[in-house]
Amino acid sequence: MTEPQPHHDPLVRIECQWCKSQNEGTALTCRACGAPLDVKDMVSDSGWREAPRLRDMTEFQFGASACQVEGEIVPVAEINLGHGDSVFFEHHVLLWKDDTTRMSVLPLTGGVKRALAGMPFIISVAHGPGRIAFSRDATGELVVLPIHPGQELDVREHAFLVCSHTIDYNFVRIKGLRNILFGGQGMFMDRFIANQSQGILLLHGYGNVFQRNLKPGESILVEPGAFLYKDASVGMEVEPIKLTSGFFGGTSMNLARMTGPGRVGIQSMYVHHTTE
Amino acid sequence: MTNLDSGSSPLAASGSSGRSYTCSWCGMASDGTTLSCPACGASVDVKSVVSRSGWAELPGRRDMAKLQFGNSYCQIEGTYVPVADMNLAANDWVYFSHHVLLWMDTQVKVGAMSLKGAWKRMLAGMPLIMTQAVGPGRIAFSRDAPGEMISLPLQPGQAVDVREHLFMVATGSVTYDWFQSNIWFTTKEGDEQETHYPLGMLLDRFQAPTVPGLLLLHAAGNVFVRRLEPGQTILVKPTAFLFKDTSVKMQLHIERPAGTWRSWRSWGDRYLWVRLHGPGRVAVQSAYDKLEDNGRNIISHSGATTRQW
Repeated sequence: MTEPQPHHDPLVRIECQWCKSQNEGTALTCRACGAPLDVKDMVSDSGWREAPRLRDMTEFQFGASACQVEGEIVPVAEINLGHGDSVFFEHHVLLWKDDTTRMSVLPLTGGVKRALAGMPFIISVAHGPGRIAFSRDATGELVVLPIHPGQELDVREHAFLVCSHTIDYNFVRIKGLRNILFGGQGMFMDRFIANQSQGILLLHGYGNVFQRNLKPGESILVEPGAFLYKDASVGMEVEPIKLTSGFFGGTSMNLARMTGPGRVGIQSMYVHHTTE
Repeated sequence: MTNLDSGSSPLAASGSSGRSYTCSWCGMASDGTTLSCPACGASVDVKSVVSRSGWAELPGRRDMAKLQFGNSYCQIEGTYVPVADMNLAANDWVYFSHHVLLWMDTQVKVGAMSLKGAWKRMLAGMPLIMTQAVGPGRIAFSRDAPGEMISLPLQPGQAVDVREHLFMVATGSVTYDWFQSNIWFTTKEGDEQETHYPLGMLLDRFQAPTVPGLLLLHAAGNVFVRRLEPGQTILVKPTAFLFKDTSVKMQLHIERPAGTWRSWRSWGDRYLWVRLHGPGRVAVQSAYDKLEDNGRNIISHSGATTRQW
């Protein structure tokens, strides 16, 4: 006689508060993004949610591959690529790789525009099987963003660490001349699109990372250097604010007006842009 | 005037619970029933960590700690590069250097707060304009380096002196002034003379004249504080100096090996310090900039003590 198996109610699921993926009721960390599932929702009174602090050595799956996050001050994303899986990245974030991990180049369109915008001309691709690891050059947090089919995400240039091959990569021009001149994002942002299948995107934010969901029509003003990512549905316009006081005191600052609906992510140690 | 140097609580009264607790960081008295100090956010039950030499670490602050000032609140979020997220009540206002602004609600009114002595401030490389934000609405601030946020609640009459460019934001009840640091030395080579200000040409002074106020600073790395007894002195690297009570006096201190004129000229062999004289609190940061010194011959300097090894 076989022993009765413990009954798992298929309806019991834990929804990850970070990426909204559904997890088994017994899971401690999200299988899609590694966020602790028992973490208290650290949402500030103003509605910003801190990016989940990933436990050191947290491991999560994507496709036939696994990613382990190591370290906390400048975290490393170490990926064990499965056969047939690949990831793409900007070459300056590569920390180490197995000798056997095969590399290639992602074909890109608009090379001249990219070069003019100061964006990387070449995006590298690593193919499994093999291990490869990535990190950035400053104190910060690793942000894991699973992208579900139909989702589009805009990311500050040079902020993306690594992305799975199931995601389409493109770049978008920030509309409006004033955006180009004063927005602090350069002329282009990276755009990641999940068409048919889910994929995963890893960003590195400087300092601490916060995310907020804007309602339709809701606006917020953000320092352009703090902008990290947004849903494609979120509008972004530059709003100049003039500050004058007497003969000597004349300056202005340019803030980014972000208008919902959608998510906005910011970093607390922002890239400083000189104003007029 | 509140005298924090005496070590006594400025408001040594027990709360309605019959308990009293004095915050080891800011000296604010409360009934100790909350998890964090209502004035500065320091953990109430934290064990003060004091090194054998007498430096106390900035008390650990829980993520999302909430402070109150006037009818407004400030929540401190994040640990690597903390954010001061303020919910300003109607007519409450704060001022700040505009480069520390992280985000704000669209209804917050922002304008310029004029400062006196614009010409001298411009010469000293200090901001000409402070920006002020008036509630109601939310506004948040952060700096551009990993470090700690220091909340300094100021009781009526209390003032602190802060090294330039460390200031983040202060409430409207805190007055802002500045004064000559008077810590300098002049070097010469050939016909070229250059005057150096290890602490900066000017120091900021923040004071709460009549009602309590809140001052927030951002330091790079970790922050350590100690209280100097009357007459006690300590030597501090100028670029590590953060703030001091106004009762603490400063002067330049130069050390060099006994030897030839050449060793006096060599930057590698001479040390420039700030000597701080008690009584009062002094604070330093653990991550500091390199001190600018071209290593040339010092021909004059502000009042200083010297020592040859």
